[in-house]
Amino acid sequence: MSDNSLKNLPGGFKGMSQDMGSDQTAFKGVQWGKVMMWIFLLSDTFIFSCFLISYMKGRTSTVVDWPNTSEVFSLHVNGVAVPLLLIAIMTFVLITSSGTMALAVKYGYEKNRKMCGWLILATAIGGLTFVGMQAFEWSKLIHEGVRPWENPFGAKQFGSFFFMITGFHGTHVSIGVIFLFIYSRKVFRGDFDKGKRGFFTSMKSDYVAIEILGLYWHFVDLVWVFIFAFFYLW
Amino acid sequence: MDEIENKETVASTHKIGIYLWIWGLLFVLSFFSYMVDWFQFQGLLRWTLILIFMFLKAGLIMAFFMHLFWERYALVNVLLWPMTAIACFIGLMVAEAKYTVFTRLLYFFIGG
Amino acid sequence: MSDEYNQKNTPIKAQSSEITSSSSGSSKDIDYVRPAELPEQDLYHGHSFITKWIFCQDAKVIGVQYFLTAVFTGIVGLVLSWLMRLQLGFPELVPFITAEHYYQFVTMHGMIMVVYFLTALFLGGFGNYLIPLMVGARDMVFPYVNMVSFWMFFIAVCVLMASFFVPGGPTGAGWTLYPPQAILPGTPGSNMGIILMLVSLSLFVIGFTMGGLNYLITILQARTRGMTLMRMPLTIWGIFTATALAMLAFPALLVSCIMMTLDKMLGTSFFMPTIVQAGEVLSYGGGSPVLFQHLFWFFGHPEVYIVALPAFGIVSDLISVHARKNIFGYRMMVWAIVGIGALSFFVWAHHMYVSGMNPWFGFFFATTTLIIAVPTALKVYNWIITLFRANIRMNTVMLFCLGFIVTFVNGGITGIFLGNVAVDIPLSDTYFVIAHFHMVMGIAPLMVIMGAVYHWFPLVTGRMLSEKLGKWHFWFTFLGAYSIYFPMHYLGFIGVPRRYFEMYDSPYVTSAIGMNEFITVAALIVGFSQLIFIYNIVVSLSIGKPAGKNPWKANSLEWLTPEVPPAHGNWGEKLPVIHRWPYDFNVPGAKEDYITQTTPPSEVISAEVEKT
Repeated sequence: MSDNSLKNLPGGFKGMSQDMGSDQTAFKGVQWGKVMMWIFLLSDTFIFSCFLISYMKGRTSTVVDWPNTSEVFSLHVNGVAVPLLLIAIMTFVLITSSGTMALAVKYGYEKNRKMCGWLILATAIGGLTFVGMQAFEWSKLIHEGVRPWENPFGAKQFGSFFFMITGFHGTHVSIGVIFLFIYSRKVFRGDFDKGKRGFFTSMKSDYVAIEILGLYWHFVDLVWVFIFAFFYLW
Repeated sequence: MDEIENKETVASTHKIGIYLWIWGLLFVLSFFSYMVDWFQFQGLLRWTLILIFMFLKAGLIMAFFMHLFWERYALVNVLLWPMTAIACFIGLMVAEAKYTVFTRLLYFFIGG
Repeated sequence: MSDEYNQKNTPIKAQSSEITSSSSGSSKDIDYVRPAELPEQDLYHGHSFITKWIFCQDAKVIGVQYFLTAVFTGIVGLVLSWLMRLQLGFPELVPFITAEHYYQFVTMHGMIMVVYFLTALFLGGFGNYLIPLMVGARDMVFPYVNMVSFWMFFIAVCVLMASFFVPGGPTGAGWTLYPPQAILPGTPGSNMGIILMLVSLSLFVIGFTMGGLNYLITILQARTRGMTLMRMPLTIWGIFTATALAMLAFPALLVSCIMMTLDKMLGTSFFMPTIVQAGEVLSYGGGSPVLFQHLFWFFGHPEVYIVALPAFGIVSDLISVHARKNIFGYRMMVWAIVGIGALSFFVWAHHMYVSGMNPWFGFFFATTTLIIAVPTALKVYNWIITLFRANIRMNTVMLFCLGFIVTFVNGGITGIFLGNVAVDIPLSDTYFVIAHFHMVMGIAPLMVIMGAVYHWFPLVTGRMLSEKLGKWHFWFTFLGAYSIYFPMHYLGFIGVPRRYFEMYDSPYVTSAIGMNEFITVAALIVGFSQLIFIYNIVVSLSIGKPAGKNPWKANSLEWLTPEVPPAHGNWGEKLPVIHRWPYDFNVPGAKEDYITQTTPPSEVISAEVEKT
């Protein structure tokens, strides 16, 4: 967030060396919780990178043919197989929810309680839709005989990596949805305006929490961009 | 999560237009990357398009939705430099995967 | 609801980082330090016994909790190593040690010592205790998360220990847990044991992530006024870089744990190739065992530095304080720590020269491995130059520091041997490797831990440890450890393979039998001599000499708290203000031989201090 006193600091690499050389804080004007979420996301990036690297290694080095994803994930509409239709819809749903979240953060900082709350709720519903569609996709594949240990289409690793990676991502989405619902309630209740103390941590609430939650939610979307590209389009 | 108290009374936020623009761009880019599969581009063209759209989307989300574009360089650099380790890991694993499939074909199919 | 410090509602204000020159008219004031950017931290004060000592949010208590838990697991690891040595020195002397049990001991000893003992002790123990004190913070930035971090670690240790009692016992796959053998029948503990190990590691990673976020953000965002990054003690630099490594390396471990758990429980084939077992083809197929090794060592090599870097940092501080001299080349030391940390992500496959990976990787990884030796060697030179013509106090702490330098140089040089592919291939999987890594990441960090305990015990408890017992403890440990690991180099050269339960009638037996017996006796003596240490700690807790304030005449902040041992919130009414680095010892022109970090320049106007 831009703060007036921050504007007097030099930007770019000069600003960076000055920030790093200064006392007290290395990231000027960035709240602790926000730094925490960023570094956590960096760590989480490494987790997803390791998953995707393993997938790449597994897929490239198998001598059995990899299933054709655009056929496996196709959906029949009026008897015509549309490739990757469900996945495309899921992508759009997740991007939509990402956009509402970005707006929620904006309205949060403007202390627009109503807008912020409704947008978070919309984000949560978008996330829930995504998880629901993923559950549908899983059940469809399981119905077709895809299992983590085998599948009728080709290499064994296809099912393993599919369920593991989308499952891990889905877990992230689900956790995000839970927090979105909790936070929308908090926003409507006005916790962030009053600085109500947290139930566990007994620390004061603040609208920066919405941005932190937003970072997490955008990250989930970000990971989906990579999964979409590497798992479905490859 | 929020141990620091933020005493700013009115935080200046970005105009709503920029978010809507990025939002729209993301939809367009997603549509394009879906079209890559729709038209069944193959080979190098497919890979190039997939990667371009992927990195554009990822970049837009990080830069604007996650506000990295407006953050100071100290944070941006701390977040982006570790990716070199991942890049190295990816590069080496590509080489490793090729070697694995080479030995498998050599010993299990040609030689065996 | 919590009590709070009286807090002034100062807005977050970022200002120019140039401390001495300020735009307002006070630029003449040499004691000027720019005002606080952040308001005072809001702290939760425990009231009951449970919130004060068990589910405590005070980083110092959490540090001690981590320390004690880690030491407990370390003692388990030590006992396991005795059992292994008994079998190796005197085969079949103890009927209880069967081949299966031997492999379980090997595995658990390795995993406990590397992850649950050294990592937890350095980062969880020393990190929690020292970071807020040394950077001048009231506490960690997220005290609640910090508490949860410890209890996750505690649960991880409980799960690990539980694997001793499940049917089949703990896993016996070696600490690297290589599949496919780790999860196939025939390996001890391939059912419950390996599952519990993987679960425990995952819990450890989750718990550590919570703690690690705290350490990083406290160092980056919660320093006191005047505390620039380049005025932090090297201890903090070591812990900081190690934590950053951990945050980026543990994900690879978590991923490999998840994938192996799925291989075991669901029958996926991530790491499992086609396997014929007792004439029957298993359902596995097409997986890549070498992928696990890459993932594991992508974690495993940074892990080596997660253990080593805090040791480097701490030993630099101990040497400087007890040699009464500033650390030579402070900035070089900092950059060496950071450089080693960064490079450690590019060297992992030097553990895999004989694994059957792409043979061209040898060039890349041998080169990066030898490059990483450069900053490491710089550090060794700097420690030695710091000692050169210094006013060395030959106390227990200094002895342990010297012991560290010797063992570290020894282990480091053998590391350069092993980093070269051509040398590594005959030596890998022999006792030479055992000797190398025990010297460099076993004994050397242990020397630092012990020195650090002698150094900071007065701070934690307010009483000194006995010097006399300490010297006995040092000589037993140092000479004993050398007699254990030095002969192992020779065993390696003659080709005695590691991980062998017994040599039976192989030609190694005749030439190695005496040496193996000697090593075992030495190991038993060293192990038992740690009782001196424990006795020293227990007795000194109640009858040790009262330490008073700053017994070592050190400069760094942790000794400058209003109360000793420091109370919750560390600094009483006002946070300290920092004017210099912590290494102003024996400054020409100063009245005393040390100038604390909080001493303003106007008080030591005649001293020729370093400009920091």
